[in-house]
Amino acid sequence: MSMAGRFLGGAQDRLLPAAIPFRFFVTAAVFHLLAWMVLLLAADEVAGFRGGTGPVLAAIHLLTLGTLAMTAIGASLQLFPVVTRRALTRNWPGHFSYALMLPGVALLSWGMALHQTTAMQLGAGLTCCGLLVFVALTANNLRRASSIPVVAAHGWLALATLFVAALLGVLMIWGIELNILSNRSGLAITHLTLASYGFMGSLILGLSLVLIPMFVLSRSLPPNPGWAQLGLTALALLVFSISFVSEFPGLIWLALIAGFGGTGFYLWQMAKILRSSMRKRLGLPFVLMRASWGFLILTLLLVTAYLAGLAIPNAVSLIGFVLLAGWLLTFLCGVLQRIMPFLASMHAAGKSGLPPLLSDLTAEGPLMLHAVCHFSAVTLCGIGIVADQSLLIRIGSALGVVGAAGFATFAIIVALKVRQGPRTS
Amino acid sequence: MSFTRRTAQLLHEDHQQTIIVIEALDQLIARARKKAPDTNDPIVRKTLENASGAIEEEISQHFAFEENQLFTRLEEMGDVSIGEHLRGEHRALLPLGQAVGTMARTALANGFTDESWATFLNTSGELIERMFAHIQKEEMALLPALEDLLDAETDIELSTAYADSH
Repeated sequence: MSMAGRFLGGAQDRLLPAAIPFRFFVTAAVFHLLAWMVLLLAADEVAGFRGGTGPVLAAIHLLTLGTLAMTAIGASLQLFPVVTRRALTRNWPGHFSYALMLPGVALLSWGMALHQTTAMQLGAGLTCCGLLVFVALTANNLRRASSIPVVAAHGWLALATLFVAALLGVLMIWGIELNILSNRSGLAITHLTLASYGFMGSLILGLSLVLIPMFVLSRSLPPNPGWAQLGLTALALLVFSISFVSEFPGLIWLALIAGFGGTGFYLWQMAKILRSSMRKRLGLPFVLMRASWGFLILTLLLVTAYLAGLAIPNAVSLIGFVLLAGWLLTFLCGVLQRIMPFLASMHAAGKSGLPPLLSDLTAEGPLMLHAVCHFSAVTLCGIGIVADQSLLIRIGSALGVVGAAGFATFAIIVALKVRQGPRTS
Repeated sequence: MSFTRRTAQLLHEDHQQTIIVIEALDQLIARARKKAPDTNDPIVRKTLENASGAIEEEISQHFAFEENQLFTRLEEMGDVSIGEHLRGEHRALLPLGQAVGTMARTALANGFTDESWATFLNTSGELIERMFAHIQKEEMALLPALEDLLDAETDIELSTAYADSH
């Protein structure tokens, strides 16, 4: 690793070799493109999707595991050592996790698309092993955390929910017939909720407390709202899971209230950070992040309306789509636009031996193309699901493909610029 | 961010002051774009006055303190690369800050020509971009590292010396 490349830690090596986070990020961008492509091919089945194998399930897992989890793992492996002020003990598990995840997600998605049980089982096994390596590595880092305990606690919740979500996923694929698993749809919804609101949501809620203030250069926040956000989110996830697995629907309203509470504390803190921002021009990444917060509120409102019995056509598909493509994907694309050039600047060599400019390490055109196409895609697909119009979903997915190609171009350009810099181990 | 070590807190407050000046410069550029602003405008004058004095003075004192007092201590602890990287950024920032200061003083006296504004625009643009990224790195990595690096006695000694030098 170069001298500059060991920034954030030197002897402590809190900055990983560029190869670890960047291979996760670039792979996430490629799976993002594949997810929209598969959705385009399966446009006729999207609105009425209620579960089961097929291309829609494959597209969902290309997005959740291929894009969201890959991004989350790459970002967590790099960011938690900085947040906790404790370096990862070894770098090889990061490479090993990737080596398991990449074929695992590809095989799992292929198996789901083509109803190939063996491929799904093998893919799920490899993916879970990759996730376990990530869980063990991050847990070891969080265990030694010496600062910002509220963020570390969010990390623990994310790891716990990931573990349970992965376990439920494996159980569903293997079709183990236990009494507790008789409610398969409840299990699938719990799996989705723990993976999205639990794993991804906890990471976003926790890391936002340090990343967003850094991005916008704002004043610090008191820790108590962060703890309240964590407590309410954990309560919501626990009660929601119990209510679905035990088929005791009354509890779900308690989960929803707690979910609204946790989200409320989170968004209140984000608003406070933005109000005290010393940076006025926050750029395109914050257009995406702000929009994602709107989608987060929309998912909770849709769930409430659905549970209250309001007749929303294809409500289950719509909620899943807004949750995954609206909230999570939009947010992560916004964050990646900021952290990829920032990380690259610590690894890449600039002209005349001086550090490179961030603007030289990004690609504004492809990112603008992505933003325009992404919002159009989410809107058209959402309307298409409600109206049960495959044509709208097809046009939306096609725009999604174009946008994802733009984002992948950006990710590859940044990664190539890092490769042109000093070699990293 | 808030820090328990007074030295880290003082550097953080410096960052906030620098951000105010840099942000005002960024706003000036965003408003004026390619057309040279009127240097008789009170807001433009205030921004240029701050840029002519504060940036140059602040960053030279701030950088010198970090390089002479903090990076050396980090290096003694075996943490060489953080100082190397930030010194590299200082090497890029200092001449930019000095150039912007000089150009701002000239503009306050004589106004901008189209040519001098174009040069000011480019140099300030690079300064703004580099400075925001630099502060973000120090806030994220250097200042938290001081929490572990400095004991209470050294913290008081360093922070008092730094506060007195301002």
